[in-house]
Amino acid sequence: MTVIHPNMADEGAKIHARDVCVFYGDKKAIDNVSLDISPDYVTAFIGPSGCGKSTFLRCFNRMNDTIGAAKVTGLIELDGEDIHGPNMDVVQLRARVGMVFQKPNPFPKSIYENIAYGPKIHGLAEKKADLDVIVERSLTRAGLWDEVKDRLDDSGTALSGGQQQRLCIARAIAVDPEVILMDEPASALDPIATAKIEELIDDLSGRYAIVIVTHSMQQAARVSQRTAFFHLGKMVEYGPTSEIFTNPIEERTKDYITGRYG
Amino acid sequence: MSSIPVSGSGAAAKQPVGPTRTAAFEKRLASRYRAERNFKLVGLGAVIFSVAVLVFLLGNMAVNGVAGFQRAELAVTIDFPASGITGDATSLTAPSAGQTLEMQGLPDVVTLSAEQQLGKDAAAQLSPAAWRDVAAALAEDPGLVDRTATLHLPVNSALAAGLEGEGSAETQALAKKLAAQGKLARNWDWGFLARSDATAPQSVGIWGALKGSMLTMLVTLVLAFPIGVLSALYLEEYAPRNRWTDIIEVSISNLAAVPSIIFGLLGLAVFLALFPNLRSAPLIGGMTLALMTMPVIVISGRNAIKAVPPSIRDGALAIGASPVQVVFHHVLPLALPGMLTGTIIGMARALGETAPLLLIGMRIFVATPPEGFASPATVLPMQIFLWSDEIDRGFVERTSAAIIVLLVFLLAMNGLAIYLRNKFEKRW
Repeated sequence: MTVIHPNMADEGAKIHARDVCVFYGDKKAIDNVSLDISPDYVTAFIGPSGCGKSTFLRCFNRMNDTIGAAKVTGLIELDGEDIHGPNMDVVQLRARVGMVFQKPNPFPKSIYENIAYGPKIHGLAEKKADLDVIVERSLTRAGLWDEVKDRLDDSGTALSGGQQQRLCIARAIAVDPEVILMDEPASALDPIATAKIEELIDDLSGRYAIVIVTHSMQQAARVSQRTAFFHLGKMVEYGPTSEIFTNPIEERTKDYITGRYG
Repeated sequence: MSSIPVSGSGAAAKQPVGPTRTAAFEKRLASRYRAERNFKLVGLGAVIFSVAVLVFLLGNMAVNGVAGFQRAELAVTIDFPASGITGDATSLTAPSAGQTLEMQGLPDVVTLSAEQQLGKDAAAQLSPAAWRDVAAALAEDPGLVDRTATLHLPVNSALAAGLEGEGSAETQALAKKLAAQGKLARNWDWGFLARSDATAPQSVGIWGALKGSMLTMLVTLVLAFPIGVLSALYLEEYAPRNRWTDIIEVSISNLAAVPSIIFGLLGLAVFLALFPNLRSAPLIGGMTLALMTMPVIVISGRNAIKAVPPSIRDGALAIGASPVQVVFHHVLPLALPGMLTGTIIGMARALGETAPLLLIGMRIFVATPPEGFASPATVLPMQIFLWSDEIDRGFVERTSAAIIVLLVFLLAMNGLAIYLRNKFEKRW
């Protein structure tokens, strides 16, 4: 059973997901999940390891396509358009829905090239000067410009872990996406770098619809306004973050929040 | 509360002896260390043995090969204006200059000059092809024809052996006498690198075979590298996993293990049947060797592609790169160093290959270097094989010299590939 708090159905939602199931071969990893992602809020997916929250996140930009055995059913709409529909190109979808991974994965190229790669392949900049502007703007938004502006030609892999992750966020926003998916973006980072990432998520919210998967309840409480709790492939409860953490309706949510399991 | 064990006579007696503190354990520990020491010694021994073999091989080659870059030469002074030999810059450098000079009687002029200066016995020991060296000298400097010049001309095998203290007592004495006069000496023979095969060991050169090898390798590389890399990319990135791709994978692995002479038969049956006019040509040789090299490149290429971290692929896909952009912008650059390693191994094997080329007719006597991919040619290992088969003693040293040229070519080729690999190598 899924409990959805009142006023969560949103006509102006960025993403509508209806009856989404994901199968890995015969195994059902996600079971009939329906929810709306609002463009104005940060939405957090929480739940114990292996509950399917990352799998569900990867449905939104069809990254599950790259896994041969994975099969997605149900309806997912981005601005009312079916993302599996014939009019939706996966390359265009991924330009509109950016993603940041758990482990920082900068390309083994220069910092500049890392940011410029997306705009280049999508033809977003006609001249080198335009590209320079995009690179500076993306790095500034990711809070990295001051740290790297003097060494844009250095390799992206030479940065520290936290800087690499912010570089990956800058890379994602360089193509000006509408939604940014973050798959446990701070789980490989130390507390100081984590704080910087969380601050950054706060700054970016409003400009982009942000969906973040996290296994840290404190992090979900700090950065998100909407929270969905997943357990064993099902969405158990979805509501405003404050409600979920202070006044959960479902027993399982309460147990997880209070640390009974996880 | 657990108490910390206190060492002392009273406390030790009460403490049960742990399993890692018994005499038996210490004995086992000692034997573990002994095993490690023994393993290190055996490994070191193996390395020393291989280095010793390599040093012996290279040393032996170098000592013999140095003599191969030299030849015994007689100093003969020729008075060209008095000899009746004529010509100008154009006629002496023309391709037909040799024939013209032969008709003018250059061979006799050379023999006569040698007889006058060194005596009949010595002149008889001059290499029959010595006049060709005179023609070459004239082609290089046409002005000689108006002067008297002293030229160093090759002697035949008997006198060359005599100079080494071998052969009959007569020639040894003659060699000694001429050497004492300063007329006979071993000189550096740089022409060895510029001439082609000949019947006399004093007149042979390696350039024909070296050029043949270069042309053949070029064809092999141009065919095997792109086809191998593209096959590896397709099989790894695009091909579905099913029974057919499994069969292809097994076939490629088997192809890499097929004895090379079988590829020669294939080249004979297919390529020469298609292009019968190209017998002995570097083009056919290169195509045959490319068949042999390709599986090695495919296998190493697939391993290199598998080693590219999936996170890089995910990162590129998530930003909206199409699959082909992911492959050419990210996977290929990261896999290229590994692919080049496979290419080095494959090309090195192809360079040293003789057996398949025997069957497509590259075992020929090539007196002039091949002009292009379609003209008859031989390759370095084949030249070594042909010379090692000769009876004349002078060929032994020439064979060693040819081996040195082959090894230097191999090192140069691998050095270039390693340079390129290090240039492309990136860390992630």
